[in-house]
Amino acid sequence: MSNAAMEGSPARRSAARRWTAPLVWRLLPLTPFTLILAAWVAYWAIAQPSAETLPAVQDVAGAMWDLAVKGELAVHVLASLLRLLLGVALGVTTGVIGGFIVGLNRPIAEFLNPLIVFFNAISGIVWLPLVIGWLGIGTALAVFLIWNTVFFIVFQNTVLGVQLVPKVYEQGVEALGGGRWETIRSVILPGASPYILTGLRSGLGFGWRALIAAELVGATTGLGQMIFGATEYHRSDIIIGGCLIIGLIAIAMDRWLLLPIEQRTVRRWGLAFDARSEE
Amino acid sequence: MPDDMAKSTQNKIVVSGFRHVFETDDGPVQATDRVDLSIRAGEFVTLVGPSGCGKTTLLKALAGFIRPTEGSILCDGATVLGPGRDRGVVFQELAILPWRTVRRNIGHGLEIARVPRAAREATVGRLIELTGLAGFEERYPHELSGGMRQRVAVARTWAADPDVILMDEPFAAVDAMTRLTLQEELVRLCGATGKTVFFITHSVDEAVFLADRVLVMTRRPGRIKAAIDVPGRAAGRDWESFKIDSAMQAIVEQVLRLVREERGATAPAASAAVTK
Amino acid sequence: MRVTAAAEPRGGLASPATSSARVLRSLRAFPILLPFAALIAVWWAIHATGDFSPQVLVSPLAVWSAFLHLVIHGVMAEYASTSLRMIGFAALLSLAVGVPVGFAVGVNGYAARALEGFLRFLQGISGIAWLPLAIVWFGFTHTTTLVIVIYTLIVPIIFNTMTGVRAIPEEYGLALRSLGASRLRLVKDVYLPGALPSIVVGLRLGMGYGWRALIAAEMLVRKGGLGDLIFGARTFGQIDRIITGMIVIGCLYVVVDRLIVQPIENLTVARWGVLRQ
Repeated sequence: MSNAAMEGSPARRSAARRWTAPLVWRLLPLTPFTLILAAWVAYWAIAQPSAETLPAVQDVAGAMWDLAVKGELAVHVLASLLRLLLGVALGVTTGVIGGFIVGLNRPIAEFLNPLIVFFNAISGIVWLPLVIGWLGIGTALAVFLIWNTVFFIVFQNTVLGVQLVPKVYEQGVEALGGGRWETIRSVILPGASPYILTGLRSGLGFGWRALIAAELVGATTGLGQMIFGATEYHRSDIIIGGCLIIGLIAIAMDRWLLLPIEQRTVRRWGLAFDARSEE
Repeated sequence: MPDDMAKSTQNKIVVSGFRHVFETDDGPVQATDRVDLSIRAGEFVTLVGPSGCGKTTLLKALAGFIRPTEGSILCDGATVLGPGRDRGVVFQELAILPWRTVRRNIGHGLEIARVPRAAREATVGRLIELTGLAGFEERYPHELSGGMRQRVAVARTWAADPDVILMDEPFAAVDAMTRLTLQEELVRLCGATGKTVFFITHSVDEAVFLADRVLVMTRRPGRIKAAIDVPGRAAGRDWESFKIDSAMQAIVEQVLRLVREERGATAPAASAAVTK
Repeated sequence: MRVTAAAEPRGGLASPATSSARVLRSLRAFPILLPFAALIAVWWAIHATGDFSPQVLVSPLAVWSAFLHLVIHGVMAEYASTSLRMIGFAALLSLAVGVPVGFAVGVNGYAARALEGFLRFLQGISGIAWLPLAIVWFGFTHTTTLVIVIYTLIVPIIFNTMTGVRAIPEEYGLALRSLGASRLRLVKDVYLPGALPSIVVGLRLGMGYGWRALIAAEMLVRKGGLGDLIFGARTFGQIDRIITGMIVIGCLYVVVDRLIVQPIENLTVARWGVLRQ
């Protein structure tokens, strides 16, 4: 509302924190995990469900350990990561290039918009039945589905970023005698980059999800196949362990790979931005 | 009983030995140190002091949003235990609701108090006239200028008809010209309604212009350093005559000096060296 | 409470009329159809020049006749209504549970802090990854599908309700409390309208993820729905049916998103001038 100095504001942000020792505050995010673990252990001890319904915590850990020792886990994880890397690389490259072309040409943007809305609505897993017939089961299929998912997110963010770069910046460079190429290189590319990075960040998250879905039926290796294959033998320990690994990899990629890149650029340039992010 | 009544009309608010400490990541911070003050019924008291001296803390305690670490706060002889309808607050951030029209924002307090629609509309209509908002009743806040939003916030508090009104730098975010108008309007509004007002500001001009009495606070931990009476509010004030009234300007000078002393002494050695 | 008024039956009754009018208008609007016409032309050209087996690519005409066949025999209506009922039911249930949970967590700094990381973790494990476990637990049933879709929908709804509540300036609540407002009042007058734009955004995101999760789950569960339709067609190599199904999936999503969810979002954001941030 007002952007004048507010005495109450910085205090408010840490309103809850004020009353807590920093350690407690820092440990707070662990409570849901701890509670669920405790409930799991307690339920298992009291109700003694069959391993098929709910395996014991140590069984899940044991199953993962076995797979890790046999080297199977590494095979699955690496297969998934390789597909992700290929699909995301393709999606980002095509998305950024396409986003620039469309973002810089209003008539093209307006012409293509209905198609984009439609194909975005069926991006990803919906293509699976059709593309299995074209590419067969395997890496190519998974890469296609990831590309298809990532492309639209990166593309839309790039278009948005390119279109939102203030005209004054362009005019500033033009006034210095810069040509079209120079404006694109020194104004539009850096100006749009926070949006592109946001697109990359959520694109990777969506790509990962699309990959798991694709691998359920469209692959013979990979984490998705690992858990879906386990369904046949009702190996809940492998399924649950696999799901946890999938979640951990997603979190790790976001936390240590993408968040730092995004924050560094955005913070260094002090750019405010409101791109379509995941949440 | 009559004795009690007499006492309460004399002193609406009594703060004694108010000390407040809050915890931060870097350890406890003492916001105020043994503040003593009393405000008479119908009096307009302004409080000036350097930023971060605990002004807002004091106001929040009067409103009942925070409890004193030490000391007591009495309103009409009763300890303040929480926010109440007898004490209205106007925030610097305004806090009028963006999803309510001007009319519904102003009438909100009456709606909460379950005042019947007809009576509510009458009060709201009167305040809309008083604050010059006529014609904007059905607008949403984002369609208004900063000064008009300010008027809505003030009118909302006045409409609920509290005995005491607490204002936390309400005019800090509006432009200079609008601020002068709003200040004159506030003087008129107070003259017409006879409220007890406690008003925080860091503008010395504003503090003297509005007040019956100006309180100056020390730097953190804040204490009341001085109280200066400003005569003649009942007769009304406007900026043109205020600026050329030598008695008034002398008071402004005096308050300015008192505030300056605190500002110069805010930080230790480093900033002292700079001022030299 | 203008927004609730707009969401009330009156608005609901009025909207089909206006929306069908809008569809008619956009059909008449040349520019929107042009890119699709171009796409179909390219598709036709590719099909005509190459020598494709019907297992790989079919002509647009074949897709059209497959579509007519499915519609006339009521097959499409059956599959589509299964999917729509599933997503509708899941959305209502997720709102009914997710919004109160988001509120409860949002008003409490500790709860919010405790749950945020957990929700992010859940978001990392897509709903579809739980499908194998759901199949082991509930078998190849509608329950499995529903569980997966609700899981996918509810996380963004909780998350956005929570952030929406937390983004409301503290002064709004303080000001109302000094006007004598009760807790219920605060929820009704401050938290609910304040968080509404964010809740709608959450619903919109959730519907996007949920629709995809639904299709994927239907493919594997094979108990009806559009996902079943296209995956079932795969086993018989009926490319015409697959493409028909894909088009219907895309169109239904666009219709639900653009004609139901987005107008609500625009209404709150435009009327109040609240930025969704």
